[in-house]
Amino acid sequence: MLDNTATSSTNPKMSARDVKVFYGDKQAIKGVSIDIDMDNVVAFIGPSGCGKSTFLRTLNRMNDTIPIARVEGDITLDGENIYSSKMDVVQLRARVGMVFQKPNPFPKSIYDNVAYGARIHGLAPNKAELDQIVENSLVRAGLWNEVKDRLSDSGTALSGGQQQRLCIARAIAVDPEVILMDEPCSALDPIATAKIEELIHELRGRYAIVIVTHNMQQAARVSQKTAFFHLGTMVEYGDTSDIFTNPREERTRDYITGRYG
Amino acid sequence: MPANPQTPATGRTKTDWMGEAMQKRIARRYAAERRFKWMGLGAVALSSLFLAFLLVVMVGNGAKGFISTEATLTVDLPAATGSISPEQLTQPRLAATMASIDVRRIFDNAVQAQYGEDGARFFASTAWTALRDQLTENPNLVMSKTKVWLPTSSDIDRAAKDNSTPEAEADYATLRKAGEVRQTFNWRFLTGSDGTDPAQVGIWGALKGSLITMVVTLFLAFPVGVLAAVYLEEYASKNWLTDLIEVSINNLAAVPSIIFGLLGLAVFLQFFSMPRSAAIVGGLTLALMTMPVIVIAARNAIKAVPPSIREAAMGVGASPVQVVFHHVLPLAIPGIMTGTIIGMARALGETAPLLMIGMRAFTTTPPDGLTDPATVLPVQIFLWSDEVNRGFVEKTSAAIIVLLVFLLTMNAIAVYLRNRFETRW
Ligand SMILES: Nc1ncnc2c1ncn2[C@@H]1O[C@H](COP(=O)(O)OP(=O)(O)O)[C@@H](O)[C@H]1O
Ligand SMILES: [Mg+2]
Repeated sequence: MLDNTATSSTNPKMSARDVKVFYGDKQAIKGVSIDIDMDNVVAFIGPSGCGKSTFLRTLNRMNDTIPIARVEGDITLDGENIYSSKMDVVQLRARVGMVFQKPNPFPKSIYDNVAYGARIHGLAPNKAELDQIVENSLVRAGLWNEVKDRLSDSGTALSGGQQQRLCIARAIAVDPEVILMDEPCSALDPIATAKIEELIHELRGRYAIVIVTHNMQQAARVSQKTAFFHLGTMVEYGDTSDIFTNPREERTRDYITGRYG
Repeated sequence: MPANPQTPATGRTKTDWMGEAMQKRIARRYAAERRFKWMGLGAVALSSLFLAFLLVVMVGNGAKGFISTEATLTVDLPAATGSISPEQLTQPRLAATMASIDVRRIFDNAVQAQYGEDGARFFASTAWTALRDQLTENPNLVMSKTKVWLPTSSDIDRAAKDNSTPEAEADYATLRKAGEVRQTFNWRFLTGSDGTDPAQVGIWGALKGSLITMVVTLFLAFPVGVLAAVYLEEYASKNWLTDLIEVSINNLAAVPSIIFGLLGLAVFLQFFSMPRSAAIVGGLTLALMTMPVIVIAARNAIKAVPPSIREAAMGVGASPVQVVFHHVLPLAIPGIMTGTIIGMARALGETAPLLMIGMRAFTTTPPDGLTDPATVLPVQIFLWSDEVNRGFVEKTSAAIIVLLVFLLTMNAIAVYLRNRFETRW
């Protein structure tokens, strides 16, 4: 095993071992091993097309929906192999929530957007508790004060930044254990971006968080651990402060100093 | 104008945005825009003209079909029935009293008395039943000599409406000398069924036949079509088998309707021995024809649902069925309904396949269920247009109006429903 496969955590929430992903004949991920724990926000950085999204989507089996995609290797959640036949993929996706690059609220009311996951998983036995879940999630997503008077408005009528926080509230409402975010700020303006980053800070500790970003300042601001991807391999994984100040690998240094990417 | 039009960097002459050539180009562009606008307007005007022409001609011809001609007949009932006491007209004995009256004979006598030996030919062959109905409704008529309005024969009806044969015109003149003539709204046309006398036929039988057939078609074609589309789009893996199915469905939608009629004949009538002329068989046959249209429309509507919505739903742990029923179908339903409207409108207007399965039943009573012999509006129109009796011409046009109103109502309901389901983004 490579020395840069940070397998140091004693009790990782999720861990990947030698994961390979193929799209048809083309290999997009070439053997990645990583541990993700509850205490640290993990950032994936790297140039476009290096496989950050692809790898992120193996963690909640979203790649299953792409017919030509094939995943090899082991990925565990609390020690349980998520690709084993015993794993229920629907429940897995509830436990490992996802926030996408482009805000994608349902064309339903703000309330229904947040309540949806809780409803389908039967998390609220009655209306009062569902209301409570919706309120809590919106509060934690930092959106409550902005929308509390118009919960029945369409979620698609919000601004881009609000929509993305709504999507985070929607993910939180299912009470997941891990939240995966794929460039959640790339479609947002700097103020909305700052709000999301603040939010990530607040969510840390309660959820294991993985965030993909091509913005290195963002990675430095929100994460405690950073993984640098290049051409389908994970070049380096370590404490964010080390990666940015004292990278071990030549390619990492080139990337963070802006020589390519 | 700059002194040096040559830009050193590219060696290209500097574009003269204000020059004559540029102005000409702008003028040409405006001309092209105008031309296109007029061509578009012309196309819209032409199609509106056709539609208006169709409506005017149809309403002009058909309006008369909704009018019937009636003539008076003076009936001296007390003289004809002998004395009937008021007690005989009260409840327990009323039925027996009415049964004892020979309305037919009274009618014949009254006609002869008023219009001469041959006067019966002025009236519809069923005019005496109209007299009977009026008596049943108002038994007190029996107590006095009264004047009643009864439907005329279709010859008189036509002579009263436009010019007709010299004999008919002569009859009409005779009739007017001996009695009065009026034109009233022909309720019978909306409540009655087919018949041999054009003055007495109605459209309700065919309308009801169409209604039942359409309900059968919708209840079969819509759910099956939508489920097939969902399966093909969301579940089936892409391989040669699904490709083959896709090609087959596309071809099926283009198959001439009469072939579906032959299919219905072979499968439902000959193989399953279902009753001939029945609305259920018509509905099944039309469902076969409509299903591919709905499948294609539904697949396109489902394809148009953004993948990001599916991902969002799966991302919070929605199962495939939940993704389809909570997100994909609600967003696709307006498109599906547009396809369904087109398919159903086509089915409603279909004649050929229904002739193949015998839905040209001559029935003087409307169908009462799925298996009763029935006919449908377009077939009724086809049959009437083929009648030798000239009186059917206006009935044909009137039936076309009813068919168009049915079609417009059906479409209006569908468009209303579609707009209600439309999601605002
Ligand atoms: N659905 C797909 N089908 C085929 N190839 C894909 C698909 N998604 C991504 N790829 C390929 O996989 C590689 C990694 O893509 P991606 O994970 O999106 O990169 P990143 O998110 O780092 O920009 C790219 O070469 C891309 O072309
Ligand atoms: Mg990406």
